[in-house]
Amino acid sequence: MPSQGFEQGVLALLPRLRRFATGLARDAADADDLCQMTIERALRSHGQWREGSRLDSWIYRIMRNIWIDEARARTRRGKTFVDPDQGLDVGAGGGQEESVELSQIDRALATLPSEQREAVLLVMVEGYSYREAAEIVGCPVGTLNSRLVRGRDALLGLLGEPA
Amino acid sequence: MISITPERLAAYADGELDGETARAVETAIAADPALQAQVAAHRALKARLSAHFAPIAAQPVPERLRAAVFTPQEAEVVDIAAARARRERQMPRWTWIAGPALAASLALAFFGLGRDPAPTGPYAGGALAQALDDQLAATQRPDAPVRVLLSFRDAGGRFCRGFSGASKSGIACRDSAGWRLEKRFGGTERAATEYRQAGNEAADVLAAAQDMAAGPALDAPGEAAAAKRGWQ
Repeated sequence: MPSQGFEQGVLALLPRLRRFATGLARDAADADDLCQMTIERALRSHGQWREGSRLDSWIYRIMRNIWIDEARARTRRGKTFVDPDQGLDVGAGGGQEESVELSQIDRALATLPSEQREAVLLVMVEGYSYREAAEIVGCPVGTLNSRLVRGRDALLGLLGEPA
Repeated sequence: MISITPERLAAYADGELDGETARAVETAIAADPALQAQVAAHRALKARLSAHFAPIAAQPVPERLRAAVFTPQEAEVVDIAAARARRERQMPRWTWIAGPALAASLALAFFGLGRDPAPTGPYAGGALAQALDDQLAATQRPDAPVRVLLSFRDAGGRFCRGFSGASKSGIACRDSAGWRLEKRFGGTERAATEYRQAGNEAADVLAAAQDMAAGPALDAPGEAAAAKRGWQ
């Protein structure tokens, strides 16, 4: 098996994986730890990846599953998530106004139930089709579609109409 | 006429509908400004969200993640707390010593460069040998003519010490005959370029030490214990 190609493929995905991880974890350090766990599990599970199938959605699914487990474990441990009011400046940003804007989006996303947030992130940020996003999440396409709409409506309600 | 549910409208805005359904939705919204506004709001939100997260994908990927791709995998880490604990165990390997060591050698460059006899043979002698025997990285005087940067064991089990002095920097390893000089770099005594030079020497020593070492650098108690046993 051309293992070097697999590793190069994972390497090329890292910028996107960090973006998805930041959307899920909402904390830069957690996001990179989530990335690291995802990389490690992907390497260990290399044998389960079907050659010729899409590497990106396979790894997104791994990351998403790790995050779900992590979120459950945190709930069990009684650890709270990042306080939504804290917000998080994830963007490169510059001016004061811009960073206020960024935090507002982070706070709004933080209020969504995780199933809606992952649907919004996969489609509206990562650019996956409904079918691809549904495969990553492991739900029917119609379910993905309705989670997306509920998440979107909640965000529009919180963020207001775009200028 | 098909019914325009919010789901169908979103799917239309995302380009998810096949040709026939898409045309039917298009016809319906052409006559309804409210539906048009919803499609526009959906697309504007999508643009806003992707712009928000785009900078992350444009950032350079941290080296530890790139390295992880090429690291053979051991047992599974079960959660982020454990992953962080493991990272924190790995991280200090050299950085904990590299920081203070570099700062110390810069201080050396600025304040009173002492003189130590340049090592000549394959073994350190005089003041250098004395410093390697006695000085501990944690407790040495800031103005010591020779600074010990770090101590470690090499693959052969010998104790080795990286040092930086006015006339020589390098790495010496202790064998039965004494401190054998394994690596030598120029000294820090260069009038106009002291600042830059001092940092470079220390970095050279640390890089060479990293190649030679069989494990992490000794911590302060480990170093003290090794000194007590005469480094053998």
